[in-house]
This record gives sequence, structure tokens and C-alpha cells, in this order.
Amino acid sequence: MARSTRLVLAVALALALALLAIGCGSNDGGTTTTAAGTSTESVEVVIGIGAPLTDGAVALGQGMVRGANLAVKEANESQELIDLGITLSTVEGDDKGDPTTGGNVAEQFASNQNLVAVMGHLNSGVTRVAVKVYAQNDILQVSPANTAVDLTIPRSNANYFRVCANDGVQGPAAADYASKAGFKTAYVVDDSTPYGEGLADAWAAQFEANGGTVLGREKTADKDTDFKALVTTIKAQNPELVYYGGIYNAGALLSKQLKEGGVAVPMMAGDGVFDPEYIKLAGAANAEGDLCTSVGLPTDQMPKGQDFIASYDAMYPGEAMAAYDAYSYDAAKVIITAIVQVAKDMGADKLTTPEGKKAIIAATQGISFESVTGTVSFDENGDTNNKAITVYKVVGGAWTPEKM
Amino acid sequence: MNYFIEQTINGITLGGLYALVALGYTMVYGILMLINFAHSEMFMLGGYIGLLSLKVLSDPSLAEDVGLGFLEPAQAFFNSGTIGFILMLVVTFLVSGALVGVVGMITERFAYRPLRKAPRLAPLISAIGISIFLQNAVLLWVSSKQLPYSRADGTSFVPVKTAFTFMGVEVSTMQVLIIVTSITLLLALDTFIARTRVGRAMRATAQDRDAAGLMGVDVNRVIMLAFFIGPALGAVAGIFNGMYYGSVKYNMGFIPGVKSFTAAVIGGIGNLRGAMLGGFLLGIIESLASGFISHAYRDVIAFIVLIVVLVVRPGGLLGESVTEKV
Repeated sequence: MARSTRLVLAVALALALALLAIGCGSNDGGTTTTAAGTSTESVEVVIGIGAPLTDGAVALGQGMVRGANLAVKEANESQELIDLGITLSTVEGDDKGDPTTGGNVAEQFASNQNLVAVMGHLNSGVTRVAVKVYAQNDILQVSPANTAVDLTIPRSNANYFRVCANDGVQGPAAADYASKAGFKTAYVVDDSTPYGEGLADAWAAQFEANGGTVLGREKTADKDTDFKALVTTIKAQNPELVYYGGIYNAGALLSKQLKEGGVAVPMMAGDGVFDPEYIKLAGAANAEGDLCTSVGLPTDQMPKGQDFIASYDAMYPGEAMAAYDAYSYDAAKVIITAIVQVAKDMGADKLTTPEGKKAIIAATQGISFESVTGTVSFDENGDTNNKAITVYKVVGGAWTPEKM
Repeated sequence: MNYFIEQTINGITLGGLYALVALGYTMVYGILMLINFAHSEMFMLGGYIGLLSLKVLSDPSLAEDVGLGFLEPAQAFFNSGTIGFILMLVVTFLVSGALVGVVGMITERFAYRPLRKAPRLAPLISAIGISIFLQNAVLLWVSSKQLPYSRADGTSFVPVKTAFTFMGVEVSTMQVLIIVTSITLLLALDTFIARTRVGRAMRATAQDRDAAGLMGVDVNRVIMLAFFIGPALGAVAGIFNGMYYGSVKYNMGFIPGVKSFTAAVIGGIGNLRGAMLGGFLLGIIESLASGFISHAYRDVIAFIVLIVVLVVRPGGLLGESVTEKV
């Protein structure tokens, strides 16, 4: 008995260690990126990156981390930061696309004295919880991807900004496109998250205002994989288009099951599905002709886009860019610009004090610069002034920008 | 009417998957009075191993990469037509079922057997631990992303075709495959338990473990067997789940696990035929609720049914009225 217990313990321990080793291995170089060779007296300032990394829209979340880390790396190499005596580092928090987990991540960020700002989160539902924690601790939050309208309108958190257009812009723009493209009837599905619901509502309202008919409206869950019964329902309604408010994980499976279930019409969705993963999961043949909208203009068509793509490929060889990499880069740049401005006004050593953190939030409001996604500046609600929306269509197994 | 039949067929397909998983819960509970929360991870592992197996068996270049180039003649046959495809599926089921069955036996040996004499809460916690361990193992060693269940070129393993038209309703190949396979496996298991010596030993162990041991039944072997069969059936359901819905993810087992456990309870936990009945019932109710009331409310309705069943028949539909052993 004693022998077998020891054996059990030994095996359990070995397995646990193996997991631990793997876990650490995969995090190497990812969790904390600090520029090497900086002088010892420089002030360490931490930027939190909150994104779904192991659950939820993982492909988008991991892209956010890459985009933000690129901006931080470039900043650390710049003479300006070296002169000011600032060393930036980033810390990742995995919110799993889940509001409760996101709240815990926010608390963790807030307990870090050197953390002055957060680049994130992806999901509007997560931000709803997290932004309150940041507000209490005077931490600036700049989101590259939240699109739920009520995060900024009415403005309830002065510390919150976003660099992407909200669903009040995206939903109607998508509906206008659908109406112009000649779709008369649609079936609307959402994933019951603040993002999906808000987007689908905005889309449906505009589509009906344009004279279209919404044949039905159904709610699913963001982690659903079984849409077979719903597909049968939709098939009976015979719509010309299915609109889905949600993220690519479930969206791709809905598109696949729709096509396999004999509903041979395109599915349209928002920026949450704008990722190559969507086409991979749905199967290229099923996704062909599907539509989505995403915020901003295509990165490679922007004046600074080519430079960005070049430095991105240099830092992450072989990694495909996801929907929010460029936006995360710009969101991180907003944070860095605010930090630099406050460091010039108050001195770098004041950055991590409560007054310094408040000053960083105040400085963000007035920021304006040209970057990858266009002109980055904020209106009185903390929304971006850059309200461009692009429609993409799956053509030949890849998202291709459509003419509006 | 067509719509009703179509939703019912959706439900039977889903029910077949639930029934396969529910059997694993009910078998273990019947013998050990343990709710094996790690069982949903067997379903998940089955899906992953099945995907790997299908990919290797259908793609010559991949097989060569992993050092299985000698499979080439078999692959040509597997990709040649219907019979080849069915054979490939059978091989995949055997590979995945056997491997996951062994994982089930290992969990029993290392996580449950040392705790067999411990208070009942201890193995329950151990089961949750195994579940978290397996999920994280797949998360770290395989991928945190949702993986498409498709061939190397991105097409589905099962070509989407209408197998036949039944009263004006199109039934897909995948649905026929799932319904036929699950019913066959359920009947086979039922016969095995009812007719063979080993089956009788299992029933005896479930009735009274100590007495069965005194009568010469090797109780440990019977329990091992239950921990092989349950996960193996779960693995088959995992593969079907992947092919039918189109993806696998490390935490995909949780919701089907809870639903299948519910199915086992509806049917009367500990009772094999009850688990089968409960599985099909739950699948059909969910599908009809989704089709006729609202997709968002299907789980609510399914769980209302569970509560009603438990109020009217606390032991489940086919549950024996067992006097509580103190």
C-alpha cells in the first residue's frame, strides 16, 4: 500500500513538473518584454495587455499582444525614452473573453504599482467589468477593439478611450452595404454578449430602416458549437442573408453548419469574425461569399501601413496579422505618447505616482498623431474620430476588401 | 410536419451523442457511486486523437512526416471510396477508443483507486483535478485555439450529402452515421452486460462490491473494464461531435459532459438503459425546444424537464428504488 502510494505520488509529481516546464517554456519571452541594456536609474513603467489568450477569440487576442509589444519595443529603442530615463515593459493578462476572469485580471493589474495603463480588452463585456477597476485606481485604459456603444456613450469613465469605431457606426454601415448589395430579407442571430447583441441590434434597425425585412431574431451563446436545430429553423424561413453578431469561434461553425444544412446564402458578421481563423474553421468552401465589416481601412492601404507590416514581419516572422494587431499597436502608441508627455511635464519619476497616473489620463484626451490606422485622436466621449468602416468578403478563401 | 420531423432527427442525432457519453457516467456511478467529472475530458481527448488519426490516415504526406509512410497502400484504399472511408472511420474509432480507454484506466488506477476507501468527497475532488489536468495538458501541448475538424485541404472528412429523403425530409450522411453507430454500440454494450460472464460480474459488482469479491469476482478488473468501456464510448462520441459540428477545443467537453450527466440522471443514474433513454430524450427535447420555442431557451427547457422528472420519479425514469445504504 505504502509503495503504491509513493508510486502514485511520484507519477503525479512528474506529470505536474512536465506541465509546469511546458507552461513556462511557452511563456518565455512573451510575458515580460523589457529592453536590454538600459541604464540602472531609469524608471520602470508597466503597460498591461488584457486580451483573451487561452479561451474566447484567442487568435485576435494573441494578435493584440503582438501589436502592443511591437509598439513598446520600438518605443524602448527610441532616443526619446532613453533620454527621459523610462523603461517600458508589458505584462499580459489572460481574460479568456470572460467578464469574471477579466475582473480578476484588472485587479491583478491594479495591484502592480508600476502599471499606469492597460492596452485592451478585446470583448466589450470584459471591459464593462474591468474599466471600473481601472477607474478606481486611476489607470488609463485604451481599447483597440471594444465596439459596444454604451462604453463611451454616455461617458461614465474618464479613463477609457478606444481607437476603433463603435457599433453605432459599424452596424448601420454594414446594413447599408447589405441593402445596397440587394439583400431584402435577413435572419439575425447574436451570441448574447454585449458586443454581439449591440451590433446585431444596430444592424437590424438600420436594415429595416432601409426597407429590408428581418425574418427572425435568435440568441445563441458565445461558446455554442451546436447550431443544427437553429439551422433547420433558419432554413424554414428562407432568408437571403444571415447576419451574425459575435466572434469567429462560434460564427465559423454557424456558417459551416448553415451551408451544410442547405442554407446556401452568405452570412454577414462584424469585426469579430475578421480573421483567417474564421475561414479555416468554417472551411474555405463554406465561407466563400461570407461578408464582414471591420473598423478602419485595410492596413496595407494606409500611408504608414507598409512600414508597419515590414517591422511586424521582422519581429514576428511567419505570424499572420489578425484583425486588431494594427489597432493594438496604435492603442499602445496612445499610451506611450501620454506617458512621454507626462514625463516631460512632471518628470519621469512622477509617472507611477497617483498624480502621475491622473495626468496620463488627462493627457490622453488631447493626443493626436498620424499612425498605421490613420489619424488617432479622441472626441469628448473617448471615441476615436477615425470612423472608417471597411466591408470584407471571402473571395478564394481569403478576406478581400469590398468597394462600399 | 416536415419541420417537426427534421427537428426530431436533429434531436435523435444529438441524443445519440449524449447517450454514448452518459453511459460512461452511469457505469462508473453504478459500480463505485462516483461521479466521474473527468469523463467529459475523455470525450474531448477522443475528439483530438480522432482528428489526429483521421488526418494521418487520409493524408500521405503527413503520414510520412510522422514516420508512418508505410501506411501509404492503406491510405490509397481509405481515400478510394465509401467502403474505404468507413474502414478508415472504424480504424479511427478503434485507435481513439483504445487510447482514451487506456487513459481512463490510468486515471482510475492513479486518481481513484488510492481513494476507494476514503470519504466520497475525496475521489470527487480528485476527478475534478484530473479534469483540470487533462484540459490544461491539451491546452499547453496541443493548442489553445479551436481546431477545424477537416482534412489537410480544409474540406470535411464526411462529404455533406443527403443520404436519403424520408417523408420529404433530407437526412444527411453524418446524421445516419451517428444514429446507426450509436444505436449499434448501445445494443452491443447492452448485450455484453446482459449476456456475458464479464457482464454478469459487472452487474454483481454494481450490486454489492464486497459480496462479489467474496464470490470470486476480480473486482479491480471489473472496475478497470468499466473505466475502459466508458471512456472508449466517450471517445467515439467526441469524434462524431468533431465531425458533426466541425471543431475541437480543449474545453469542448464541459457542456456536453454536463448535458450527458443530466441525461444519465433523467434515465436513472446507475442504470445503463436509463442512460440511453435519457440521452435520446434530452437530445430530442432540446432540439424541439430550440425549433419550436427558442434556441436561447433550449437549455432552460431541458433542465426544467430534469427537475420535473426528479420531482415525479426521484430515482430517474428507469432508476431502481434503491434503499439508501448507510
